[in-house]
Amino acid sequence: MLEIKIKKTLPDFHLAIDLTVDQEIVSILGPSGSGKTMTLLSIAGLIRPDEGSIRLNERTLFNSAEGVFLPPQERKIGFVFQNYALFPHLTVAENIAYGMHGRPKKDIQKRVAELLELINIPGLKMRYPGELSSGQQQRVALARAIAPEPEALLLDEPFSALDTFRRERLEYELLALHQYFKGDILFITHDLAQGFKIGTRMAIYENGRIVQCDSREKVINSPVNRTAAKLTGVKNLFDGYIASIENGALQAYIPEFGKPLKINYPETLNLSLNQPVIIGIRPEHIEIMGYKQENTIPSRVSRLVDGVTDLHYYYFADKDIGKRYNLESCTSRPLSPPNLDTGKSCFLYFPPDRLIVLTE
Amino acid sequence: MLESFLSPLYISMKTILASTVITFFLGIAAARWMANYSGRFKSLIDSLFLLPLVLPPTVLGFGLLLFFGKNSPLGQLLDLFGVTVIFSWPANVITAVIVSFPLMYISARGGFEQVDINIENAARTMGAGEWRVFWTVTMPLSWPSIMAATVLAFARALGEFGATLMLAGNIPGKTTTIPVAIYFKIQAGHMEEALILTLIVLIFVFVSLVLLAYWKGKAKKDGRNKAFAGN
Repeated sequence: MLEIKIKKTLPDFHLAIDLTVDQEIVSILGPSGSGKTMTLLSIAGLIRPDEGSIRLNERTLFNSAEGVFLPPQERKIGFVFQNYALFPHLTVAENIAYGMHGRPKKDIQKRVAELLELINIPGLKMRYPGELSSGQQQRVALARAIAPEPEALLLDEPFSALDTFRRERLEYELLALHQYFKGDILFITHDLAQGFKIGTRMAIYENGRIVQCDSREKVINSPVNRTAAKLTGVKNLFDGYIASIENGALQAYIPEFGKPLKINYPETLNLSLNQPVIIGIRPEHIEIMGYKQENTIPSRVSRLVDGVTDLHYYYFADKDIGKRYNLESCTSRPLSPPNLDTGKSCFLYFPPDRLIVLTE
Repeated sequence: MLESFLSPLYISMKTILASTVITFFLGIAAARWMANYSGRFKSLIDSLFLLPLVLPPTVLGFGLLLFFGKNSPLGQLLDLFGVTVIFSWPANVITAVIVSFPLMYISARGGFEQVDINIENAARTMGAGEWRVFWTVTMPLSWPSIMAATVLAFARALGEFGATLMLAGNIPGKTTTIPVAIYFKIQAGHMEEALILTLIVLIFVFVSLVLLAYWKGKAKKDGRNKAFAGN
């Protein structure tokens, strides 16, 4: 179990993090400059936080009150850097063996062979990093980090430099590795889909703080604020206010639509009449209708983007509303060409159980 | 006759060898220390280390003369042990070290600072102490810079004339190096002898450079698949 509670102040940045990882993979998601890497460097002992404490399996790695600061060498934490940071002058086998310095030679050889097998490159042990593909380099970096049997593993955007095919394979292999490596894993990514795939829990960063840290389902389904919503792919966000609360049903008035929308009441929120709220919905949850009904608004397609697996529509308000808004919806790509095209009018349906209510 | 050619060559070689070895370790130690030092005297110490590079040789020589002279505290202390630096072979080595040190220092430091901090940090997270990080990561990765620095230090030590003349003087068979010998041969009008000495220097430098290039090429060949395969 890794318990982090740290603060660090830089001239124009303030980091204040409270995070616990318990034998699981936690994905860290957030915009660049939000303190993700700084958190990992603090945990590894490569930078020193101003105050707080870091504990790993009952060992104190850092405690400002007691003046404890273990150097990185004594922390038993594996680190995988974004640029791999392999030793270019050592072979693959030597890279992996580096952290096992001082152990019996036989044990080292055995473990290197075992790890090479695990990362699927047994034949490359005498090669140098410069001779490997980026995917193979990343595998070696992973193997090298777990070779000394660390208690926690920190990965800083490890797959960002890989192409889609290699990235997906490595994501799969990292999950497989977690079965083998039974420690705490923190994984930084800027890719929502990747963070969801790999992490059992997700931590959303903003300006040096964690705005939300929950199970991945909860992070996706109930973001806590505008930033969390945006980062987790809620692309449609509108300001509005509570028009009525009755019998567990909620109506929120959105000025841009000129009408209220019915929303299934989120019981965790304490809402009152006329309270300003932010209403959000994911592109994939908007349904396209040919006719008017409850919770629909008339729209006109402004742009259509044809993707490999999905189809993105962008809309603006139809004439009769007169106010401007921009919406994005997305559906699985149909086999035949879509009958909805740029310039055409339609009705957009917002399912009441898919609408997200935010107060900040 | 032969003696007057061989003696300067021998003294020069001895001086260069000793000074290059000393400068090598001194420069690396200073570079390593300064690469990690971030105190408020950083730029002051840095300038001090580079001073011999920009000072006129006569100024440097005169300064050293005052520093090691019989009237200086250091000179008097050395005198107690019966050691006189001025006009002795150690004075040759001291001046050679001082003039070649800035070149070694600045190139080695540049090399150390060029090493990706993530690679050094990776070694640290894998349990390697600072010494092990330095010897197994920082040094091998800055080896090309260190080699270039050594060549520069070597060349500078060979060419050293002004400060050497002031501190070590011109005592044939004792402190007269090739550059000093050439100067005095020309002064005395012995042009042929100066020419022979010049040829000796040329051959010596050429052979050294060829050996160095061979060694460098061999190191590169051995390490072709190593450090710089990716670059």
